[in-house]
Amino acid sequence: MLSVAGLTRRFGDHLALDDVTFDVRPGRMTGFVGANGAGKTTTMRIILGVLAANGGAVTWHGEPLSNEVRRDFGYMPEERGLYPKMKIREQLVFFGRLHGLDSLRAGERTDKLLGRLGLAERAGDTLETLSLGNQQRVQIAAALVHEPIALVLDEPFSGLDPLAVDAMVDLLREEVTSEVPVLFSSHQLELVERLCDDLVVLSRGKVVAAGPVAELAAGSAATYRLVVGGDAGWLRDVPGIKVRDVAGATALFDVVDDPDGGLVQHVLQQAMSRGPVLEFGPERVALSDVFREATR
Amino acid sequence: MSNERLRHPWQLVAQREISTKIRDKTFLGSTAFMLLVVLAAVIIPALVAGNSGPDKVAVLDDAGAKVVAVADGIKGGDTYEATRTTDVAAAEQLVRDGEVEAALLPGANGFEVLGKQRVDSSLQDDLREAAANVGMEQNAQRAGLTPEQLRAGTQLQERLLDPGPLPEIVANFVNIGLALAFYMTALGFGMMIAQSVVQEKESRVVEILAAAVPIRAMLWGKVIGNTVLALTQIVVIAAASLLGLLATGQADILEIIAPVAGWFVVFFVLGFVALAGLWAVAGSLATRQEDLGSTTLPGQMILMIPFFFSVFAGAEAKSVASFIPIASSMAMPGRMLTENVPLWQPLLAIVFLLVATVLIVRLGATLYERTLLRTGRRLGYREAISIKAS
Repeated sequence: MLSVAGLTRRFGDHLALDDVTFDVRPGRMTGFVGANGAGKTTTMRIILGVLAANGGAVTWHGEPLSNEVRRDFGYMPEERGLYPKMKIREQLVFFGRLHGLDSLRAGERTDKLLGRLGLAERAGDTLETLSLGNQQRVQIAAALVHEPIALVLDEPFSGLDPLAVDAMVDLLREEVTSEVPVLFSSHQLELVERLCDDLVVLSRGKVVAAGPVAELAAGSAATYRLVVGGDAGWLRDVPGIKVRDVAGATALFDVVDDPDGGLVQHVLQQAMSRGPVLEFGPERVALSDVFREATR
Repeated sequence: MSNERLRHPWQLVAQREISTKIRDKTFLGSTAFMLLVVLAAVIIPALVAGNSGPDKVAVLDDAGAKVVAVADGIKGGDTYEATRTTDVAAAEQLVRDGEVEAALLPGANGFEVLGKQRVDSSLQDDLREAAANVGMEQNAQRAGLTPEQLRAGTQLQERLLDPGPLPEIVANFVNIGLALAFYMTALGFGMMIAQSVVQEKESRVVEILAAAVPIRAMLWGKVIGNTVLALTQIVVIAAASLLGLLATGQADILEIIAPVAGWFVVFFVLGFVALAGLWAVAGSLATRQEDLGSTTLPGQMILMIPFFFSVFAGAEAKSVASFIPIASSMAMPGRMLTENVPLWQPLLAIVFLLVATVLIVRLGATLYERTLLRTGRRLGYREAISIKAS
């Protein structure tokens, strides 16, 4: 497990990270979200040892993260970058070896990834001759080539079309085994909701929410949505519920007082007895609302 | 996971540096150009000198032919050859047509040398000496003396208190040549190091590199890779000029150069490594190629000032320069070739240079570590020294 505990970082007078603490669990994708300038990139750069923290620690299985272990991490920085004039196969082999693979294994891994990304016939071309989408593919291959024990990806899907995102996600799922923790930051909340198991929300340098996506999305109060054939105004008089909003046939209500747990079914029966019920169910909170709520 | 670990990541960085450079057309082109220039400098003078054969001198009679033969003897043979002709007018025609270098004609009190526009001074000297010898021998015979008796007590011998290994003009050329070799190589490779660093910053690949290997390993890889390349370039050029010297029969120069070659390598490597650290810093202070003009200025000055000093300064100043680090890399090998330098001098210069190299490389590594990952804007040296590590 990869953990950060109490990370603090200042840039001059600006406190960029304030006591940031969270875990990235193995075999799970952890989404890292927050507004621009919230401190996501700073956190990731500290994890990779590219930037020093003013306080706090990064640990790996409870031990302070050593350079030796860190060398087996895979990293995709926010500002993409590889050697523009180097042939892509040579380049990936170089990065594989830099991360500790022997040249034979680095070659095998490179060929496998290039094949998987549909770039096998471009192996001898220099990076700068590739389209931006293909350069992005090579970039992710550079993060994966050494079979990393942990992955830190800063906005890995920005600038990709939906098909390319799917292809990249498939590749990640294939490459990332159940021991590998993955931390990735993104602005695209629907994508994070679809891909991530866990979520860390950062706001102005502080962690404001962290946990499994399902739990965060469920929210604390149970909210239900009812759409009937007639008017739903009668809901206001039902004891134990608090109506959030009624607009003609559509109502949104919270269960606030339900000692024996049968209130929801009781409301449904009552609605059916009054006329047709077109829609009834719990209202899921969108991640964007969680995000807005948490970062308010 | 990987079974066999790369112990020293700098090796891989150095390897990449080398393999990229030796496929770079600009680098290959400039090396080929230097090779051609050096070969031309070695071979062409020999060809020009060797091609013409003995200089022809027109003579009218046996007396003239004998003088030319004696002059040829003074030069060790194969230098002058007499061409017989019938009269003065014919000799004048030969000179006018350029068929002969000069004509040796009977003169008022001995001989007259006839040239077209001028007479080559060494030819004139040799003919004068030969004419004097021949004339005096004849006079001696008439006076009843043997040539030995005639010459008794007239010999002038040279004795030098402090003989230099090379004649003065050659020595000057060698001094400039050696200083130039260091200057050009250090400047050329220095700029390449700075460029290669700033390219990594510009393309942002530096972030991935820094996450994978210690920043110092990146610096060492670059410095060592480029030192190997520079030394290889020098060795290739030296080998080519060696072949040139052998092919043109000038091998005797080698006897003088060979003992100093080892010293040159030591001074070269130490001076180069010290500067390489600074050049890498020049790259890491910049954020774009355009910034290099200003960030490499100190490095250029550190090279240029000692270069002109060691080339144009007087002997005493040159001796001082040969102890000052960096300048010593340009001045000391040349001094050793052209003067008799006691052994303690190069050794002391190496100690100074070694200390300076360690200090410069340390400072360089610190500044490099501090500034490499700052991609926002160009930094100055003073700023880099004052900022804290991040």
